[in-house]
Amino acid sequence: MKSSHLTEENLQAYLLGEIQEKSIAEHLSTCSGCQKNLEEYHRLLERIQKINPEPFPFDLTALAMETVIRYEKKRSLKREWVFWGSLFFLLLGISSLSIPYFSEIKAILYPKSSIINLLTIGTGLAVLFFLTADLIRQFNKKTTQLFKNNMQPTA
Amino acid sequence: MSKEGFQVSDEDLVEKILNGNIQSFAIVVKDTEKLVTQIVRKMISNEDDQKDLVQEIYLRAYQSLSSFQFKSKLSTWIATIAYNRTIIHLQKKKIPITDITESRDEKFPIIENPESATIKSEEALILQTEIARLPPLYKTLITLYHLEELPTKEIAEITNLPDGTVKSYLFRARKILKDNISQHYSQSSS
Repeated sequence: MKSSHLTEENLQAYLLGEIQEKSIAEHLSTCSGCQKNLEEYHRLLERIQKINPEPFPFDLTALAMETVIRYEKKRSLKREWVFWGSLFFLLLGISSLSIPYFSEIKAILYPKSSIINLLTIGTGLAVLFFLTADLIRQFNKKTTQLFKNNMQPTA
Repeated sequence: MSKEGFQVSDEDLVEKILNGNIQSFAIVVKDTEKLVTQIVRKMISNEDDQKDLVQEIYLRAYQSLSSFQFKSKLSTWIATIAYNRTIIHLQKKKIPITDITESRDEKFPIIENPESATIKSEEALILQTEIARLPPLYKTLITLYHLEELPTKEIAEITNLPDGTVKSYLFRARKILKDNISQHYSQSSS
């Protein structure tokens, strides 16, 4: 056995192919101590590569998606509240602003026959109803689209 | 990123997710699952903490997806989040990341007959026990380099450590493992 051995760093680097110096190969061919050391590293790396990585004891994808969907639903609900809140305050504002003109509106409608008045109010209510229904339908459609089959990856 | 044999680019995936296709995020989770598992599982042993961390990692990735600039692979970016969150968790619990403990576990398996054919599974057990004894960062580096076969440059990106430091830690980790395993065999043969 030689008195000056290869450093552990050089042995590892040589084994991993990071260095390919001729002097190292020459030393190894004559030094049994370094050969033994190299063999130990070789066996260690072989064994490490044979380890089967253990998965989590729980379904990681399901857990992560559940968290993300919960977050997205919460965000969606927040957005919904903001939308309906804004709409409510907008209507409230318009109604408040129209109070001074109430008597004038009444004067326009008053001389007309009750059938015309009913038709005007009915049309207004029908338009409002259909607009609201369409708004809700579109919102539900988007929500379903967003969360449908959320656990199934799609390309 | 791949899905059942065909490739979906990171750009396409991110675009789909940002456009509201939440299902596409499941592909990202599936593709990075193994890497994230290796990082979290190697550093955190408590199952409840692992669950909390995994949820935190993917939620953070989802929330910050719009800030992803494609300077690295999406998997590397998520691995970086996983690593950072895990380190923060360890720091909160005051668990040292690179300190080496000298204490030997008494439950360490002793090999009765080194020549036996059944020794291989015991060898694997010894190795896994020794890896488990390594400091959290060393365990992660060994796993990422030798099992995930990531280049040191990518590991450096994930851990935000200089390439040289990663190499140096890897060298130290392998030396500790080799020495401890040799020590174990010399103890069991004497």
